[in-house]
Amino acid sequence: MKIIKQTGIIFTVCWLSLLIEKALPFAFPASVIGMVLLLLCLVTGLLKIEHIQEKADFLLGNMAFFFVPAGVGIINYFDVLKNYAIQLVIICVVSTVITFAVTAWSVKFTVRLLERVTKRAGRGISERESLQGKNAEEGRKEDE
Amino acid sequence: MSEIFASPYFGVALSIVTFGIGVKLHQKLKMQVCNPLIIAIVLTSAVLLIFGIPYDAYNVGGEVINMFLAPATACLAVAVYSKIDILKAYWLPVLVGCAAGSAASMGSVYGLCRMFGLDESLTVSLVPKSVTTPIAVSISSPAGGVVPVTVVAVIFTGILGGIFAPLLIRIFKVSDPVAAGLAIGASSHAVGTSRAIELGEIEGAMSGLAIGVCGIITVLFSMFVL
Repeated sequence: MKIIKQTGIIFTVCWLSLLIEKALPFAFPASVIGMVLLLLCLVTGLLKIEHIQEKADFLLGNMAFFFVPAGVGIINYFDVLKNYAIQLVIICVVSTVITFAVTAWSVKFTVRLLERVTKRAGRGISERESLQGKNAEEGRKEDE
Repeated sequence: MSEIFASPYFGVALSIVTFGIGVKLHQKLKMQVCNPLIIAIVLTSAVLLIFGIPYDAYNVGGEVINMFLAPATACLAVAVYSKIDILKAYWLPVLVGCAAGSAASMGSVYGLCRMFGLDESLTVSLVPKSVTTPIAVSISSPAGGVVPVTVVAVIFTGILGGIFAPLLIRIFKVSDPVAAGLAIGASSHAVGTSRAIELGEIEGAMSGLAIGVCGIITVLFSMFVL
């Protein structure tokens, strides 16, 4: 019954995401709407992770299996593979390397920028504090 | 004869048996190239071709399996949610890295496709190839892409990332595990992530997070481009 309940919850989310897809004025894949919807449910506490844990583990753990039929469809496109094999391999290799490098560098850049900002903010606070200290001292001197 | 094969039981059973063989081989040989999905696709295709079984007959069962794709995609939310604390701590590097990586992937694929003179439908099939299969398919299919080409390109990309991730880390001198993990996840989704987990805990978590985040960002980008 537990699994049936969890299946019910996840399938309901998927059906709702189909409704949302129809209602949206622009094209957005229903499966990704389902993902965002489920994440929102979890973050807001509407759903607890225990409500779907086992079913989600089953679906995520066997994700690759669900693509067997879609992949087997390639037998209808053998001529495409044959004609463009070299190009397809080059495209995959080159773009994978580019994607890796750009992601790594932009993360490195962002982390360094963040560190500089927090350092400057820290220095700003200490400068302000010392300024305030000076002002207070001067104020005291004036009082005297 | 083909009525027997047009039963949904045949397609589902054949897929399970070939995928089971794929998983066993992957465990035995411990090679990234022996991806269970690739083995299952090759074996299933071979059975269909050798026995002259029409794809449409097999796909009666295939449709049953396809029904689980949307729920499986939705469950990527669970994978992101389990890393929500890391996402909160590193939200800016994660967002910037995934956005830059997704743009670089789509842009470089598009440019290369144009360079090789590939037609519109092949280009659309390849553009989302760095994100996880369910999201890549849901981008390529409505835009007029060839779904099987997308699936094969996505898996091939994942295997590339899985094999070459340590080498790429050395070539580009990525010392920060956060940057390394995100780069692996952004460039080679789930297959790369299984390798990132072997490299370290932070690498694995970041790579896993990048799958979901890059997926959503790539969908958003593709709305404006495709």
